Amino acid sequence: MSGGDLLVLKGKGIVEGHCIGEALVSSTPISFLGGVNPMTGEVIEEGHDLEGRSVAGKILCFPHGKGSTVGSYVMLALRRRGLAPAGLVNEVADPIVVVGAIISRIPMVVGVDISLLRTGDLLEVDGSTGTVRVLRRAGERVLDERGGKGA
Amino acid sequence: MTREEEKVLDGEAGPGLKLAMEILVKLGDIFGAEKLIPVESAHVSGISYKTAGDAAIEFLRELKELGAKASIPATTNPCGFDERLSRILDLPEELISAQRELVSSYEELGLQRTLTCVPYYQHRPEPGSHLAWAESSAVVYANSVLNACTNREGAPSALAAAIVGKTPDHGLHRPENRKPGILIHVDFKPKDEVELWSLGFLVGKICKDKIPLLEGLKGLADWELKGLGAAMASGGMTALFHLAEAHGEPVAEGIEEEVSLGKEDVLSTIEGLSSSNEPDLFFIGCPHCSEEELELIASLLKGRKVGKGVHLWICTSRYIKERRPDLVEAIEGAGGLVICDTCVVVSWVERLGVDTVATNSPKAAYYLPGLSGLDVRLMSLRECLRSACTK
Repeated sequence: MSGGDLLVLKGKGIVEGHCIGEALVSSTPISFLGGVNPMTGEVIEEGHDLEGRSVAGKILCFPHGKGSTVGSYVMLALRRRGLAPAGLVNEVADPIVVVGAIISRIPMVVGVDISLLRTGDLLEVDGSTGTVRVLRRAGERVLDERGGKGA
Repeated sequence: MTREEEKVLDGEAGPGLKLAMEILVKLGDIFGAEKLIPVESAHVSGISYKTAGDAAIEFLRELKELGAKASIPATTNPCGFDERLSRILDLPEELISAQRELVSSYEELGLQRTLTCVPYYQHRPEPGSHLAWAESSAVVYANSVLNACTNREGAPSALAAAIVGKTPDHGLHRPENRKPGILIHVDFKPKDEVELWSLGFLVGKICKDKIPLLEGLKGLADWELKGLGAAMASGGMTALFHLAEAHGEPVAEGIEEEVSLGKEDVLSTIEGLSSSNEPDLFFIGCPHCSEEELELIASLLKGRKVGKGVHLWICTSRYIKERRPDLVEAIEGAGGLVICDTCVVVSWVERLGVDTVATNSPKAAYYLPGLSGLDVRLMSLRECLRSACTK
């Protein structure tokens, strides 16, 4: 389980709200228009390092947004179908993702070094204080019901 | 923030205004703006269902549910068809009704149904006025030709500005940010607008976020300036350019970089944007034609006839089309179609069954292959009309 050595990253809170979820981490900017399917939540941009992965319910960590400003509306479309990310962590605040997070009410923190996070980390995001806490590292084992080591 | 703005942000003026205010305040925060300033008008993009899609419809539904309403004059960009194109392209009922819902949602929010990328021919902003415009070609025209002040807004931020009537005070709203940072020497005389506008496309690409000062371009007409700016904005992120000839004396202060561009550079830009295929659709009007262009087209078509199996589409605003029925008659009498509310780029033109579009617009040449899967051949207005008519 989580030890005292786990990371707490301090960034800037952009959209308030609190969430806990699994990290989906990309080193590449994301365009929501044309890059994410609004009907499925899947990343569809060819060659993107998250291609084929779903952003639904994840804490999506990536450097910043790119592409058309209509991308903000795609984030809302995802939200209305229950397919939006649970939280957003960016290195740099860009207008498209920030506006998308505001209108979709997704907790968002910026100014965090994404390279410290790994896909599968269990994260807690607090958009009011700007804190990203790693609750459990990806791949770390947890005790199962019988008290032994689980997968 | 003023006390009144804080009240809006707290939701005292209703949830729609609160959401719009939240967008502006957060964006202002990102860009380091110290305050919001009033704007005289907003111009909103994200109108064509082809490009904005269901996502925009859902945002507008949400805004309507929250009781949002435009508080200043606000105009709209082109949509996906006019009453003729929906029939010519035989659009499915779902597309037509989705596009209609999108346009009427904007109207219900209090926006004007201008459906054009050249709103400035209808409502001409005063020099020095502050605006919140999306549509990159209109932004660069407003800043560079009209000397008004607007940043390059996105679809949601222009809509938020329409509702609140304000925009964050940063970027091109501040005089210190409107000075040129890069000097472009133009070492040749462009032979037509395709060369001139492709030069613009290249300048946009080179300048990135720097403001260009162009030296060597003289005596350009309004429509040439309009296309020049549109090309810069599609080649890069240019929102303002200066012409050395328009300044009384040389502007050396603040110039960090100098670049010389010759005919060779422009010809290779044209080559990159243009195929050599035989066109079957000729398209003029990206950005939408002004009256000046319609006059030129009508005069060049005099005594000519568009060839069989060839389409000639001239796109303009409904406002201009209705103002000049004489020019529309002259163009359509020769076999062209004057189309409004839309343009080839944001329509479902691929349903026409054509392969190659000829146009004089590098902006259209840049976007059409990706949006419609069509090949594009860059040809000047005169060449387009000549080729369309000799077949």
